[in-house]
Amino acid sequence: MKRIVMKFGGTSVSNGKNICNVANIIRKNSKKGHEIVVVVSALANVTDQLIEAANKIKSGKEENIQKFVNKLFEKHISVINEAIKSEKIKKETKNKVKKVIEKLEKILKGICYVGELTLKSKDQVVSFGERLSSIIVSATLNDQKIESQHFTGKEAGIVTDSKFGEANPLMNFTTQQVINQLEPLLEKKIIPVVTGYIAADQDGIITTLGRGGSDYTATILGFVLNVDEVWIWTDVDGIMTSDPKIIKEAKTIDGLSYGEAAEMAIFGAKAMHPRALEPVIKKHIPVRILNVFNPESKGTLISEGPEVESKEVVKAIALIKDVSMINIKGAGMVGAPGSYAKIFNILGKKNINIMMVSSAVSEANISIIIRRNQIERAMSTLEIALLGNNSGNEVSYEDDVCVIAAMGANMKGSMGVASRIFTAVANKNINIRMIAQGSSELNISFVVKEKYGSLAVNAIHEEFKLNK
Amino acid sequence: MRIILTGYGVVGQSLIDIFENQKFENLKKYGFNPKVVAITDRGGAAVNKKGLDLERIKKVKTREGSVAADKKFGQPQAIAQSIIQSTEAEIMIEATSTNVVNAEPGLSNIKTAFNSGKHVITTNKGPLALAFPTLTELADHNKVLLRFSGTVGGGTPILEFAKKCLSGDKINEMQGILNGTTNYILTEMAEKRVTFKKALELAQKLGYAETDPSMDINGIDAACKVVIIGNWIFNKKFTLKDVKVNGIKNITLKELNNATKKGKRIKLIGSINGKPTVAPKEIRRNDPLCVSGVLNAVTFISEYAGKQTIIGRGAGGIETAGAILRDLLDIKYNLANRMLL
Repeated sequence: MKRIVMKFGGTSVSNGKNICNVANIIRKNSKKGHEIVVVVSALANVTDQLIEAANKIKSGKEENIQKFVNKLFEKHISVINEAIKSEKIKKETKNKVKKVIEKLEKILKGICYVGELTLKSKDQVVSFGERLSSIIVSATLNDQKIESQHFTGKEAGIVTDSKFGEANPLMNFTTQQVINQLEPLLEKKIIPVVTGYIAADQDGIITTLGRGGSDYTATILGFVLNVDEVWIWTDVDGIMTSDPKIIKEAKTIDGLSYGEAAEMAIFGAKAMHPRALEPVIKKHIPVRILNVFNPESKGTLISEGPEVESKEVVKAIALIKDVSMINIKGAGMVGAPGSYAKIFNILGKKNINIMMVSSAVSEANISIIIRRNQIERAMSTLEIALLGNNSGNEVSYEDDVCVIAAMGANMKGSMGVASRIFTAVANKNINIRMIAQGSSELNISFVVKEKYGSLAVNAIHEEFKLNK
Repeated sequence: MRIILTGYGVVGQSLIDIFENQKFENLKKYGFNPKVVAITDRGGAAVNKKGLDLERIKKVKTREGSVAADKKFGQPQAIAQSIIQSTEAEIMIEATSTNVVNAEPGLSNIKTAFNSGKHVITTNKGPLALAFPTLTELADHNKVLLRFSGTVGGGTPILEFAKKCLSGDKINEMQGILNGTTNYILTEMAEKRVTFKKALELAQKLGYAETDPSMDINGIDAACKVVIIGNWIFNKKFTLKDVKVNGIKNITLKELNNATKKGKRIKLIGSINGKPTVAPKEIRRNDPLCVSGVLNAVTFISEYAGKQTIIGRGAGGIETAGAILRDLLDIKYNLANRMLL
């Protein structure tokens, strides 16, 4: 018997059929004797729709609220009709959903009248997606004779600071409250269904957890309830060696260390945000990434130290597109104290995030990788600040590049990994424009022209036999 | 540096010519790399966040009458203010035509630019004449810069001369010929003995006066410039309605003859010496202020440096565009210093 937090993402609960599937998975594991806490995301796309609606309504017409709310109601009602069999439970659930949506309508009206959408009120609006999905999932479990109760993150007892949109949990306070709320249920084998992503500050005002989202809720609850494992149910078989769209032979990675998993955040939505990993790292709780549509596959296990058992040096390769490379040259840059600080400071002030940096000891230049949609702002800013006054500085950029990142904990201390990577790339006649390795040695990143991106990823994938 | 240009008339087109011109390579040493990301005119706008192809936009304007006709980047009917609001840029250049009734659309354009964090260069005198104190306050409040060198003296650096070259000195008095059109008419009348009407017709024929010359001959244009000098150089808070204005319509040949006999000339003089005024006045012919033709001249009398007169062409597209360029570089240096703090 294990105690497990299971988190189900938006696709897992996108319609009635999928919700029934989720209930099946929960039932099977419950029958095995596991104690289960369920965390759910909003129905697929609902969160985005809520944000979009709130932004529009802020400066829009009142009539639009009714339209939006009706659509949202219809959507959830059809899911209920599909997922729940018992007429009685159906009716109860519809009534609950109706009441919640009425509340949403009032909040949207408030935003419309005041003409203002603060981070605080946005958190309120966004929270409704999970509120609705948790009600439906819990009711579906009850419908299948699995005793369940739904909670908002707030009701479950998760307390955060008041940094709306990106709140941080107060772990001790949360522990005390969550144990009071959820332990008694677990003892009685009642399954709590908790809204992911949302919580409340000490005054009871709704907050959201921002980056890391519902996964973060799952790991917070895992930490607090001292669970044996956290299971993240997605719509893929686990974390892959590379994007299957680029590499047909990409396969699921069996095991990753926490450090490796954190590095994988750049691999996109299928991996976990480093922030969400924090609580489980502290208590060494293993995390499994599983496929809700293929529950028998073993998925990816994220835990402490599997790299010791594994011999693979490079475990995964990511291709990061939509980036630009800025090159800054100038005699004034060589060895001048503070010149790099100046550049980072200027870009930071303009909210430009630097993804990768490289510079050589001998050369009077520095290369920077940023998101491509910020290139105009970055260039304009750097030109204003660095050019002129006979500084001899030059600033230029390349738009048609991509970053390739090779990742694996065993790279640390192994000789010749870089040589193998770059030889593989060079054998395809691809020129490398820029290289960076973090001091953690978990990752080597380099830049090539975008058109050679897939070719380079394939070459490394082959060199390290990741398809085997 | 990313620029939004509102108004694509003579001045706007001259500025684009400068940007396009090969001689512009000279400006590279200033570290100045302009990128025009949006141009608006009466027909709408053309927007490209990567920078518009200026040669192509110019052709579209000449062929179709509006930049909005550009197939790829044109936005017919677009409203300047929403373009200013939604386009990322460091600077907005306001070059729509002057309106002294309500200063629109220039005034709203400038306010919108401030509100969205953009620095402003205006060659449009209307907003300054009607709301100078408001605009400087709003610029400070939004932590942006407002520059307007081209509004007084065209390409002649009259404002910079007083503000920068005489900085530290106390300027007590200003007198100036601030309008080239009226000066041309008065010079013609005095030297060729023609009537006001004749002289005006000639000025119109030569392009020195507009079809509707009332702004110039009624002294309103000069009064706008008095407002700008008074606020910017003398730190006085006043607007157009506070200036006492008399034009040149009623000047007769007889009056001009009488002045000539005394070794003087009648000129339309804007002055700040106590109350701001614009009125025809007799000036000694050997006074450096007594310039002829379309020239402008301004005399500042300061505590230490004494009497200084600066003379130059007071209008013209390319001259005014040159003034915009000076403002652009001034803002560039200000921004660079701010960023490197």
